[in-house]
Amino acid sequence: MDELVIAFIKAFLVFNVAQGLASYCVWVERKGSALIQDRIGANRAGAYFYSQNPILNFLLFPVRLLGVLGVINTLVCDAVKALLKEDFVPEGTSNFMHSLAPFLAVFPVFVAFAMTPIAPDFSITLFGHEYLIRPQVASLDSGILVIFAMAGISVYGVVLAGWCSNNKFSMLGSLRASAQMISYELALGLAIAAMIIYYSTVDIYEMVIGQQHLIAGVLPAWGIFVQPLAFILFFAAGMAETKRTPFDLPESESELVAGYFTEYSGMKFLLFWLGEFAEIALFALIMALLFFGGWDIPGVALPKVWWGALIGHAVLMTKVILLCTLQIVIRWTLPRFRFDQLMNLGWKILLPASLANLALVAWLKLAL
Amino acid sequence: MNFAFSILAILLVATALGVVTSRNLVHSALCLILNLFLVAGTFALLDAHFLAAAQVIVYAGAIMVLVLFVIMLLGLRPSPLRPSLVTIVSSVVVGLLFLNEVAPLLLRVFQGVDVVGLGGEGTVRAVGQLLYTKYVFTFEAASLVIMTGIVGAVVLAKRKAGSALSSEASNGTS
Repeated sequence: MDELVIAFIKAFLVFNVAQGLASYCVWVERKGSALIQDRIGANRAGAYFYSQNPILNFLLFPVRLLGVLGVINTLVCDAVKALLKEDFVPEGTSNFMHSLAPFLAVFPVFVAFAMTPIAPDFSITLFGHEYLIRPQVASLDSGILVIFAMAGISVYGVVLAGWCSNNKFSMLGSLRASAQMISYELALGLAIAAMIIYYSTVDIYEMVIGQQHLIAGVLPAWGIFVQPLAFILFFAAGMAETKRTPFDLPESESELVAGYFTEYSGMKFLLFWLGEFAEIALFALIMALLFFGGWDIPGVALPKVWWGALIGHAVLMTKVILLCTLQIVIRWTLPRFRFDQLMNLGWKILLPASLANLALVAWLKLAL
Repeated sequence: MNFAFSILAILLVATALGVVTSRNLVHSALCLILNLFLVAGTFALLDAHFLAAAQVIVYAGAIMVLVLFVIMLLGLRPSPLRPSLVTIVSSVVVGLLFLNEVAPLLLRVFQGVDVVGLGGEGTVRAVGQLLYTKYVFTFEAASLVIMTGIVGAVVLAKRKAGSALSSEASNGTS
C-alpha cells in the first residue's frame, strides 16, 4: 500500500516534470525563434491586464510580465485555441486510426520519461517510517533498453499519421520521417552501447553514479569528457530522431505543407507538437544524465536527504534546460539537409563512426 | 502475478483474434503490434527482462514497421466476403493440425499452472554472460547470417551502373 502511494506520487511528479519541460520548450521555440529572427514575437496576450484597485494591480504585475514574455500566449492561448478548434477527420480514412496516430506519437515519449531518474536517492521519515526513495518511476532491469524500445515505437505514430490523412503529401512526409528515424536509431543505439560498455551497466541511475568522481583531481568524470565522440553522435542522432532541423525534412514547412500532420488540427495537432517537444526534453534529459553527470556538481557530495535531492533535481533541470535551449537554437540557425544528404550522413558517416567508437571503447575497457 | 497474467492472456487472445478477423489490413497490423507488446509483457512477468525489451525493439519496433510499410505501399486488397471452398477446407485442415500440436498443452493448463519467474536468469547481465561464454559461436554465426542478409538486400536493391535510373540519379544530385 505504501509502495503504491509512493509510486503514484513519483509518477505524478515525473509526468509534471515532463510536461513542464515540454511547455518550456514550446515557449523557448516561440520567443527564442522570434529573437533569433530579429523580431519580437508574442507579447500582447495578458500584457494589458489592469485593475483600478492598486493592490490587485500590484498582484497583476507578474501576469503582465509573463504576458510580455509571451508565456501566456504560448501556454494559455494556444492551448485553449487547440482545445476549442473543430476536430475533423478527412474523408476516406478510418476515424479510429486518425485519432490513434497522435496517441502513438505521444505515448512512447512519456513512457520513456518513466525510466529516467530525476533526482538522487534520498531517505525521508514520514509517519514514523523511514523510506529510501529513488526518484525513478520504474527502475527496470533492462534500464536504457526500454528507451530504445520507445524510440522504435515512436515511428508508428508518424507512419500512421501519414497514412490516415488520405493525402499524398502527408504520406510522403511520413515515409521520409520513418526512413530517417529508422536510420538514425542505429547510430543512437550504438552511441548508447558505447556508454553501456564504459559504465558496465544498463541502469541509468548507476551510470549517473559512475560519473560522480573526479579524474586526476580536477576534471569531473562526466560522459562528455570521457567519451566526446559518443556525445557528438548521440546529439546528432537524437536531433535526427526527433525530426528537428537540420533533419527536419518530414515537417519541412516550405515543401510539404506540414508534412505528416497536415490533416490534423486542434487537439490532435497539439498532441503531436507536445510529443515532439517532450521528445526534445527526453533527449536533453538523457544527455544530461549520461554525458553531463546528471545531478552532479563537481566536487560537491549531496547528502541523501530530501533537500539534497531537491538541489540535485534543480542542478539536473538546469542542465536539461540548457540542452533543450541549445537544440532549439540549433533549429533556428542551421538550414535543413536534403534527403540524400540526410541518409548519407546517417548511414555512411554516423553509423561507421559509432561502430568505431564502440570498438574503441571496448578495446580501451579491456586494455585498461 | 496470476491476475496480471490472466489479463495479459485475455488481451493476447483478443488481439490475435483481431489480427485474423479484421477487415482492414492496417487494423490487423496494429492488432499484431499490440499483440507483440503483450508478449513482451508476458516475458517481463516471467522475469526475462532483456527478452522483453528485445522483443519490443526488434519485433514490434522494426519488423512490424516493415510489415506496415508493405501493407501501406503495396495497396493490398482485403479478402473477399465469401471465402471459396478451397479456402474453407484448407483452413479447417490446418486448424486441426495445429490443434493436434496444442491439445496436450491445453490439457496441462486446465490441470492448473502457476506463473513462476526465471529467478534471475533473464536479466541483462545473466543473458549477456550466457551469450558470450556458452553460446558465443551461435551468437557470432547469427550475426554473420544477419550481415549476409543486409549485404544481400543492398545488392538486390542497388541500381546497376549504366542503367537509365542510375544516370538520372547521378545527374540529378550532386
